[in-house]
Amino acid sequence: MAGYLLGRVLRGLLSVLIVVAVVMVLIYSCLDRNLIFANDPVFTKQKSNAQEVYKMQQWEYYGYVDFVPYGDYLVQLGLAQSVYDQAVKLGDKPAQDSTVAADYIRRFTAQYEAEGYTVVRLTGKKKGNTANYLDGGEPRLYAYRDVPLILRLRDYLTGILRVDNIHAVKEDVGERGLTFTWFDPVYGGEKFSPAIMGNGTRHKYLLYFDDQFPFLHQNFLTISLGRSYSVNQGVDVFDTMTDKQGSRAMSMVTYPSGNREYSADDLHSAVHVAGSYAGGDAVIKRNFVDDYTGVTTRKTGFSKLGYSFVIGILSVALAYALAVPMGIFMARRKDRLADRLGTVYIVFIMAVPSLAYIFLFKALGGWAGLPTSFDMENPTRIMYVLPVISLALPSAANLMKWLRRYMIDQMHAEYVRFARGCGLREGLIFRAHVLKNAAIPMVHGIPAAVLGALVGAILTERVYVVPGAGNLLTGAINSYDNGVIVGVTLFYAVISVTSVILGDVLISAVDPRISFGRKGR
Amino acid sequence: MEELIDLRRFGLTEAELFAPVSVDQTMSEHIDAPVYSYWGSVFRVFFRKKLNLVLLLLLAAILVFTYVYPAVIGYDSTVDPYVNLLDPGAKHLRPDQAIAKFGPGLKWILGTGASGQSTFDAVWYGAGISLSLALVCALINLTIGVAVGTVWGFSEKIDRFMTEVYNVVANVPYILLISVIVLILSASFWSMVFALTVTGWIGIAYFIRTQVLVIRNREYNLASRCLGTPLWRIAVKNILPFMTSVIVTLAAAEIPSYISYEVFLSFIGMGLEDQSLGKLIETSQNAMLTPGWELEFWSPVAVASIITVVLYVVGQNLGDASDPRTHL
Repeated sequence: MAGYLLGRVLRGLLSVLIVVAVVMVLIYSCLDRNLIFANDPVFTKQKSNAQEVYKMQQWEYYGYVDFVPYGDYLVQLGLAQSVYDQAVKLGDKPAQDSTVAADYIRRFTAQYEAEGYTVVRLTGKKKGNTANYLDGGEPRLYAYRDVPLILRLRDYLTGILRVDNIHAVKEDVGERGLTFTWFDPVYGGEKFSPAIMGNGTRHKYLLYFDDQFPFLHQNFLTISLGRSYSVNQGVDVFDTMTDKQGSRAMSMVTYPSGNREYSADDLHSAVHVAGSYAGGDAVIKRNFVDDYTGVTTRKTGFSKLGYSFVIGILSVALAYALAVPMGIFMARRKDRLADRLGTVYIVFIMAVPSLAYIFLFKALGGWAGLPTSFDMENPTRIMYVLPVISLALPSAANLMKWLRRYMIDQMHAEYVRFARGCGLREGLIFRAHVLKNAAIPMVHGIPAAVLGALVGAILTERVYVVPGAGNLLTGAINSYDNGVIVGVTLFYAVISVTSVILGDVLISAVDPRISFGRKGR
Repeated sequence: MEELIDLRRFGLTEAELFAPVSVDQTMSEHIDAPVYSYWGSVFRVFFRKKLNLVLLLLLAAILVFTYVYPAVIGYDSTVDPYVNLLDPGAKHLRPDQAIAKFGPGLKWILGTGASGQSTFDAVWYGAGISLSLALVCALINLTIGVAVGTVWGFSEKIDRFMTEVYNVVANVPYILLISVIVLILSASFWSMVFALTVTGWIGIAYFIRTQVLVIRNREYNLASRCLGTPLWRIAVKNILPFMTSVIVTLAAAEIPSYISYEVFLSFIGMGLEDQSLGKLIETSQNAMLTPGWELEFWSPVAVASIITVVLYVVGQNLGDASDPRTHL
């Protein structure tokens, strides 16, 4: 069993790897890389040569290219200041370079071209015949090289899991180490709340308790799925999915300096930001004592994943609660009115585009006075009703269809005839024997349904304006945010592999006849 | 005993009425059974349900409106949606207002849309695009799926390889793949076909493979193999006919699902550039909640739903009818 499962998990990981690789090939090599700037306001502000350089900088930041500006090359040579000043000054055209500059440019070109880089020289662009350059029209010189896809994939995969350690911060932070306290200073240092804090680590708090689900949090291991370009600029996809949304949640916090204040700062999230204390403003000077100033704010709403999961899990529960009795009822009344009506409903759901019935539910719900859109600022329980129903009713149809089918198949089995022959009542045969056997294949889908809730329902969330995870992928694709596309793909693939494996485990736990061990096969 | 018919009224002689017939020994060797024609029986069973006749008529009407009607009125997708663009009084009209303005006609019975175009014409033109897309995709996927699935079910080596391929491909979220392909190529009709078929066939092939595995080892195939029938002959003559009903049922579920996909993709902004049903729904979704404009939104939704339901039910019933076990 364990060996078999291990094999399944490894093969699952392999297929996740292939999926991510395929998607990376598709979007990084087939897609025009200029498209990522489509929604970037900074890009459109840049002009002429500066725009080209900005492009290169962004491409390097997002892992497309290795980019070496001529200036960086000179700095790294460690020249004397006077030589550097001469060398760095480019003429408008190559012919106008000073001899020193021309010499270094030749060396720069030779070195990087030998390494397979492309060296680009942008000539200066002047306003008409004046001596002034156009906006961003200064001459530029740089070298760039495409990062091979295999390296990108390796960097991406190795960067997914990051283990925090006391040598994570490169700068001088004094004595490195972990400290354990029973009384978390965030709560004033009197309340009992164990925490592990670090110095030299990226996160200040590595283990702590708070009042948010699941109450115990850790920062030893962080997941990063790739940096977003336009959906949530500069922020990791995983953080985009898990960060709380909504308005600020104010509470009394005690800053490291001992200052107590009503604030939304989540001090547990503090990360090391080099030089932030020395270069910080009065607020930072008042509240903090070191460079662990990178805090997020506490918000009142759920995260994207949170909303999707809450709605998803409620709808899964509702779907099973509706479908199991309905499916049993339909099977017992086969070919009678209830069965016919149920079948009409199933056909309706199967055939009609999902968009059509979601809008139908929305229209009916709106007519019945239910709120038809999500409002994060004024959350009410009732606004969950329509999205949950819209998700539950279609999946209930699917479950009903299969449960009815399996039950009818079981009804002709020998053991049912035998039970009937023994004089058991029909109700008992159904409940105790047929349902048990018919439920076995149904069990297989439960993990997929629960984990699928995390992914979110693209249409439902769009129609009801739910700030969930379902729209992340479509949003990313619409704004050409490649980092998010890859991150979400990885997330989806892991979820789908996990749910199939869990389904198999669950079914073998429920049905003793199914075994993945060697003996059983 | 009274005779039932008075033979004398025919006015014929005894010899003319009765002639001796010799006993034909060969006739006793002849084995006779009622004439059985497969497709004849399929349609006999299919038309036994009166509902099917109604649905078939409805399907014919749909096909006439999607393919014949736009051709007859000479609908031009580059001109017709914009003919009333400059007439502010022609926009968002209810059917009665549109008929009052433009005169009675089929064209205006659903009112007008945001640029004064006829909703009725736009819906049927869009239905044509969506239905064509679905039919082309279903044809490609089913052809490849059935062919690959049959081979997949027969060969153990191929089975092992293809199952691994399937495990990988099945993990790719379908929406993701389609969106990425549409993003990379353009949002044209044929790139959409490519996106929907590039991995779409593998699910069908897997399904067929499972069916083949079940049928392959039945007694009659075992007997065939013992008698030395070549494998391809078993596949084509023994197994493929058995799967006709499975394939028809599958097609019945596939075609509506491609229409749904198209509507879905257009709605989330990744669909066709053409004015397909999905695109119409997407552009008119704000009209849903505006009093007096609802028809603009609900017409394409209703037409998409009617087409898919009719196709689905006709296909399911045809699938039932093409199962020889129902022919008794």
